[in-house]
Amino acid sequence: MSRDQMRELQSEKLRKIVAHAYNNSPFYKKRFDEHGVHPDDIKSIDDIVKLPFTVKQDLRDNYPFGMMCVPMTDILRLHASSGTTGKPIVVGYTAKDLDNWADAVARCLSAYGLGSNDMVQIAYGYGLFTGGLGAHDGVTKIGGTVIPTSSGNTQKQLQLMQDFGATAVACTPSYALYMAEEIRKQGLDIKNFKLKVGIFGAEPWTEAMRKELEDKLQIRAFDIYGLTEISGPGVGGECECQNGTHLWEDLYYPEIIDPVTLQPVEPGQKGELVFTTLDKWGMPMIRYRTRDLTYLNYDKCECGRTAVRMGKILGRSDDMMIIRGVNVFPSQVESILLEFPEYEPYFLIEVDRVNNTDTFDIQVEVKPEFYTDRINELVRLRQRLTARIQSVIGIQPNIKIVQPGTIERSTGKAKRAIDHRKFE
Amino acid sequence: MLIRQISVFLENEKGKFAEIARLLGNNGINMKAFTVSETQDFGIARIIVERDQIERAFNLIKANSYAVTMTHVVYLECAHKPGAMAEAMEKLSAAGISVEYMYAFADSSSEFSRVIIRPDNTELANQIIAEL
Ligand SMILES: [Zn+2]
Repeated sequence: MSRDQMRELQSEKLRKIVAHAYNNSPFYKKRFDEHGVHPDDIKSIDDIVKLPFTVKQDLRDNYPFGMMCVPMTDILRLHASSGTTGKPIVVGYTAKDLDNWADAVARCLSAYGLGSNDMVQIAYGYGLFTGGLGAHDGVTKIGGTVIPTSSGNTQKQLQLMQDFGATAVACTPSYALYMAEEIRKQGLDIKNFKLKVGIFGAEPWTEAMRKELEDKLQIRAFDIYGLTEISGPGVGGECECQNGTHLWEDLYYPEIIDPVTLQPVEPGQKGELVFTTLDKWGMPMIRYRTRDLTYLNYDKCECGRTAVRMGKILGRSDDMMIIRGVNVFPSQVESILLEFPEYEPYFLIEVDRVNNTDTFDIQVEVKPEFYTDRINELVRLRQRLTARIQSVIGIQPNIKIVQPGTIERSTGKAKRAIDHRKFE
Repeated sequence: MLIRQISVFLENEKGKFAEIARLLGNNGINMKAFTVSETQDFGIARIIVERDQIERAFNLIKANSYAVTMTHVVYLECAHKPGAMAEAMEKLSAAGISVEYMYAFADSSSEFSRVIIRPDNTELANQIIAEL
């Protein structure tokens, strides 16, 4: 499909879904009215910028069914994601929504080279979490064989995977690494497995993890992207080129906005990812702010697909700080540290205001094997990091090398930035 | 002669070197010599202890979460006479060796000054010093 044809299709679908949301949801009607926009104002996909945003808090405020746009009798399935704070997010799907979602997952599976001859072990959790059942319906859609093991019981997983001859496994990349480790520990030979594809998502992962998974499991490892609010897994997936995640933009229309001004950025620029579900009727999401930071590439892919590609998730817009007028994301510091073999990937940013100027201190640790008795080597190492951060972020940090083990190690929820500034 | 030296990374906080000295002292390890180099932000302490205590000192410091390295340095006993040190340094320089840092320590019971030299080419510097 050419990009013009795609825009045509998106425009038509947007008009319909916006009218549906406005006419059937008190939430959207109120939100649109307050924003001074009416469905009649939406003529083409370009008019999407006239619409108000939806955020996660809206889903919490309307718990459990306040966002539904059809009678509950038309809702065939409910999923929910438990947040770390507050009420869970609930989503409901009509028959058509489930079919579209399965179709989106099926497109991912085809892009990975899977088809009706494949046997896919689904080690994502089955339940309220969208991972298990989402992947399940996608495999069924392509006519493949589902092994619905769900997550956990690794020994059984590996036994069935080997005995049944699963050709693909779907799970989180960290669980896949764990399984690879168990295969080694139990003395199993990967040659006795028939795996060729890994379908990994639901958490961020790196190129280094991809390489490790591909080596250890003798597979090609592909990203599957998604989020509960938009459908679940399968909003996008990589193709055989492994060069960006194709988004199925006839179903889920992506935009990138500046998280501060909320204006669209130039194509290719980084910003916050926003989705509008163009063909989801039970609970449409209009301009839903994902808080994920990334960029979009509209160039035609080498695989032949014209579907837009999303880059890596660079971080969360919630984490953004404005230091000396510049937008700074902790994830930028992390990716720079990963470029330096001499530094540990852990850091702590501290921001304060002294004499009306923002300070920007970053604590880092040097790996034990790179310590030296030569002070000049450490000084140079520190200068290289300072210069690199200044060139990428645009402001000069004060790098503090701290003793090994000083910085908190726990990943994910670790506090990576502290803002001491007081804004009256 | 080549001897082993312990180097410890110090965050530039007052009392960090005192912590190291106390740690060694409490464990009956005597520092024979030391020097601390500092920049505005951090420092490195270089320490010489008795040969039979060096492994223990190293492990003790490491176990207390300090970044510590062990390196070979050249040990020179320099006679207490004018020009003795100059001669040694001229020989190293003539061989193209540059000195990263050095420090001396005195021992009143001895006729020598003891000097620790950290050259860029440790092996060659050691040979030259041995032939003095
Ligand atoms: Zn592609």
